[in-house]
Amino acid sequence: MKVKTKQYLVGFLGLLFLASLIFVQAMEVARRTAESGPRGAHAVTPASSKACVECHMKTSPGIIDHWKGSTHANKGVGCVECHQAAHEDVDAFDHYGATIATIVTPKDCGRCHKTETAEFMASHHAKAGNILASLDNFLAETVEGSRVPFNPHVKTPGMEVDMVNGMASANVGCRQCHGSKVAIEGTDGSLITVDELKPDENGIPTSLDALALIRKDENGRPVLHNSSWPNTGIGRLNLDGSRGSCSACHSRHDFSPRRARQPENCGKCHLGPDHPQKEIYEESKHGVAFRDLKEHMNLDAKHWVLGTDYTQAPTCATCHMSGHSRNGGKVTHDPGQRISWTNRPPISTLMDTDINGNVISETDPVERQKQTVSSWQDKRQSMKDVCLHCHTQNYVNAFYKQYDDFIINYNEKFARPGTKIMNALKDNELLTKTQFDEEIEWTWFYLWHHEGRRARHGASMMAPDYAHWHGMYEVAERFYQQLIPQAREIAHQAEEAGEADKAKAVLTIIDDILARPEHEWFENAKKLAGDGKSSLTPEGIVSAADDSSGDKQPDGDAAPGTASDDRAGDSKPADPADNGSKQD
Amino acid sequence: MDESDGGQELPESDPTTRRGFLEHAANLSMAGGLAAGYGMLGLQAAQYLYPAEAGQTITQFVCTLNQLKVGESLPYTLPSGAKIVVARQQEGETADAFIALSSVCPHLGCKVHWEAVNSRFFCPCHNGAFNAQGEPTEGPPAAANQHLTRYPLTVEGNLLMIQVPLNSVHVSGSEATA
Amino acid sequence: MSVFSKWLQERIPISGAQLQELTNEPVPNHLKRWWFALGGTPAYLFVVQIVTGILLAFYYQSSAQTAYESVRYITQEAAFGWYLRGLHKWAATLMIAAVILHQMRVYFTAAYQRPRELNWVIGMSLLMCTLLTGFTGYSLVFEQLSFWGATVAANISDAVPVVGPIAKEMLLAGDTYNDRTLSRFYILHAAVLPTTIILLVAVHIAFIRLHGVTELQFEDEADDRPKHFNFFPDHLLTEITIGLILMIVLSALATVFPATMGPKADPLTTPEVIKPEWFFYVSFRWLKLFSLTFAVLSTGFIVAAMFLWPWIDRVLRKLTGNEDISVYIGIVATFLLIGLTVWEASVAH
Repeated sequence: MKVKTKQYLVGFLGLLFLASLIFVQAMEVARRTAESGPRGAHAVTPASSKACVECHMKTSPGIIDHWKGSTHANKGVGCVECHQAAHEDVDAFDHYGATIATIVTPKDCGRCHKTETAEFMASHHAKAGNILASLDNFLAETVEGSRVPFNPHVKTPGMEVDMVNGMASANVGCRQCHGSKVAIEGTDGSLITVDELKPDENGIPTSLDALALIRKDENGRPVLHNSSWPNTGIGRLNLDGSRGSCSACHSRHDFSPRRARQPENCGKCHLGPDHPQKEIYEESKHGVAFRDLKEHMNLDAKHWVLGTDYTQAPTCATCHMSGHSRNGGKVTHDPGQRISWTNRPPISTLMDTDINGNVISETDPVERQKQTVSSWQDKRQSMKDVCLHCHTQNYVNAFYKQYDDFIINYNEKFARPGTKIMNALKDNELLTKTQFDEEIEWTWFYLWHHEGRRARHGASMMAPDYAHWHGMYEVAERFYQQLIPQAREIAHQAEEAGEADKAKAVLTIIDDILARPEHEWFENAKKLAGDGKSSLTPEGIVSAADDSSGDKQPDGDAAPGTASDDRAGDSKPADPADNGSKQD
Repeated sequence: MDESDGGQELPESDPTTRRGFLEHAANLSMAGGLAAGYGMLGLQAAQYLYPAEAGQTITQFVCTLNQLKVGESLPYTLPSGAKIVVARQQEGETADAFIALSSVCPHLGCKVHWEAVNSRFFCPCHNGAFNAQGEPTEGPPAAANQHLTRYPLTVEGNLLMIQVPLNSVHVSGSEATA
Repeated sequence: MSVFSKWLQERIPISGAQLQELTNEPVPNHLKRWWFALGGTPAYLFVVQIVTGILLAFYYQSSAQTAYESVRYITQEAAFGWYLRGLHKWAATLMIAAVILHQMRVYFTAAYQRPRELNWVIGMSLLMCTLLTGFTGYSLVFEQLSFWGATVAANISDAVPVVGPIAKEMLLAGDTYNDRTLSRFYILHAAVLPTTIILLVAVHIAFIRLHGVTELQFEDEADDRPKHFNFFPDHLLTEITIGLILMIVLSALATVFPATMGPKADPLTTPEVIKPEWFFYVSFRWLKLFSLTFAVLSTGFIVAAMFLWPWIDRVLRKLTGNEDISVYIGIVATFLLIGLTVWEASVAH
């Protein structure tokens, strides 16, 4: 090869090398672009938290690793910023020179996240702790366990068990969703909670008596009672007087918005036989689409606005909380703001809410109008604004017609008659005051609390199988095959015991109900066959039917005073006769 | 070097002749190709050596707005240990109401401190002084018109945030792996 | 221009012509065949290694706490870091391959024969240094495989009688891999071995210059052709061309098969499958075939034989009377080499 040719070859190869380097450059640029997403963030340990991070990196690296992946770490918000406490705080202690508290409450989060905390505080979520220590918690505290410790039958081989803690089911079951009443151990064995401490608006306790009782461990740390901590229930009653726990949804310590946007996050509590919202969602077309299209959902987006950042599928958060293009991307931390029916009580009611955010039980239209601050129509419109991102106006309206019809059918065919029968039994003292000690109380509880809710939730979120087979079918079976026969049996027993009046009162109500056209099918054939078997005259039927049509009491005759205190008659030491205040 | 070597090997040639032109073209092509290829590699190596975080900033949380009253200041420490003074100078919910000044004297890097009596920042090394805005009033900084470094502040919601150089937030140690 | 050259001439009193005279070795014609220019390839790649190695050393930190993170920084954060690391990795692979090919060429053409025996020994030393550099370099990444590779290698050297335990302790700076081990590997990789290689290459080239390149005559060449051509510019251009082709190939390899990072070294968990770098597959398979002591001793014996081959070859030729005896042995050895490597590469354990 000639020298000159070689020189040209070298020149050519040099350019080829340049070309390959330009390719390298392109790859570098592509890499930089791909990295500039939200995950390319830097974790910064603020000077204030350096010592915490260094030590906890060794003792509990999971906390630090989680935190490092958080937006907090990227913005320089470290351990102290959230865990800092005032000296006067009841649960404050000195931890290597820093005054901190273990439990971070919404009051702490609210130092920075003001709006979110305010919205959350107004929500029904924040009131979830109200069921605790009320008769509503009877099921877990008494039926499943025992309010006072009791003696074991035998020794547990391998473990010293002197006493059985009967509150175990409430602690592990109810309170991990509803929230505990955080308690510090007292030196006299008592539990010191927000009730004793009476904190002022800054969360500083005002009761010196309670403060004097606090037990501290050898490091000077107030001892949190194990029945109340660990706990991230959403309605936790905190020592500083605040309610709730932000980490119920925003899992510590990465507080990942990505996770909060996914249905699994809500599924910690919203599932199971009594309100299987997550399972219902999964069965619906919405859930099916989400599973398929999850990776296109832009779940890491900074603002996760429906219609701007994604449209593929809705999650729980999308419909109930997240911002969308029609409301300017405004997120709400009160999931009740877009719900038009509350399907929580035995009889569904419309979500007209008063100034305190409670569902109005007033039946007089004028008075009701007066009390209403946010009407169910407002709430429905907020939800429709979400629906309209993917559905047409006609479609959405027709869906709501189907939904309303379903709820009203349930209310009128089963819920109101069932309530009426149960009230008749109680009014006539054919049931004890104690709940769940008679079969029919379980029957009724199953009917509205489990099956009835499944049906209504199934209808609200488009899961036909839950609406029907897991829902209305079982409601009907429970009603015709158990509730009616059991009520009649109780009446007949009363009759035999010489209480014919009471028996008659109950049986009249039952027969009135069954004589209505929607129930007529049930015993029509029997009636025709064994004419005159019924203890009622035709006149009686007519008059009783008049009575029932004149019944104005909504919502299972809840005592009006208590029902207005909370959104759905779901809390407070309500009348035990009011099954509407069963926990959920 | 390659070009000059080639030049030495070949007799001086007149570029106006056909032969001479061809030789020049060959030399040029070779030199150009080599310069382009290795030059580019050199350029990329230089980019590699240029600190990745130079000039980049990161926004960090300082405090909530209501934590700092008018006339008050609080020390903010970067993870690297550098001290910054953040003060609120007037009412208002915007970043303009606040100021963040480095406590490093721009003259020779000594630490300034706030003298409340004279309401000035004072540098003990060469008697430099600055007013509350970080403007030089006395000493060598005044002569050279050197200001205390001012860090940009922003307000996000009710939070005061500061923009600091990215490389100032990384410190050596086991936890510095971001 | 003339003022400048005068100034320069005064300070560096050597003319271009003298420089040319000094360096311009007549190059035998057979080097016009590209196959015979392989000796320059490892040299060129070595330069690439020095340049990229220096660049990587700007960010690399040789402590067990920070090594992995610094490699991650280079790979994921520094501009073009991934490319430079890819170049360094692939140039190492090609360099070892080129050294082996170069050695095979020398072997099969019997270029090690009298009077060039010593240069063969130097070449063998260079091979050993290259392999050691590859081994120590791989350990620096401090990922699982490199950590356990180093541990295993140290324990293998432990099996060598008498000097083994000492060698192991010297290598690891202790009985086991510890905090001070990595800096040993780093200094060996980045200072001791490269310096040794530079010195040996200088001697290697000096020997070539003193002896002249072995000349070969091919049957398809006319006898009256000139037997030599000029190093400048002809052979240099060949080398530059090879250099550029190598750069392009390296760039392609570094982009298509970039240097990756396995999981960080964990002294508590040995990975399911552990493999050394490909150039140690042979000895790794050999180790699995025989007992540790035998494998180590036989490997030592083979390496020693390779060092002494110029003399062994003479004895063998005398004993057998066959001039090509080394070629046959070489063919068998090559097949064995390839066979064992392929075997190791194709199985997990």
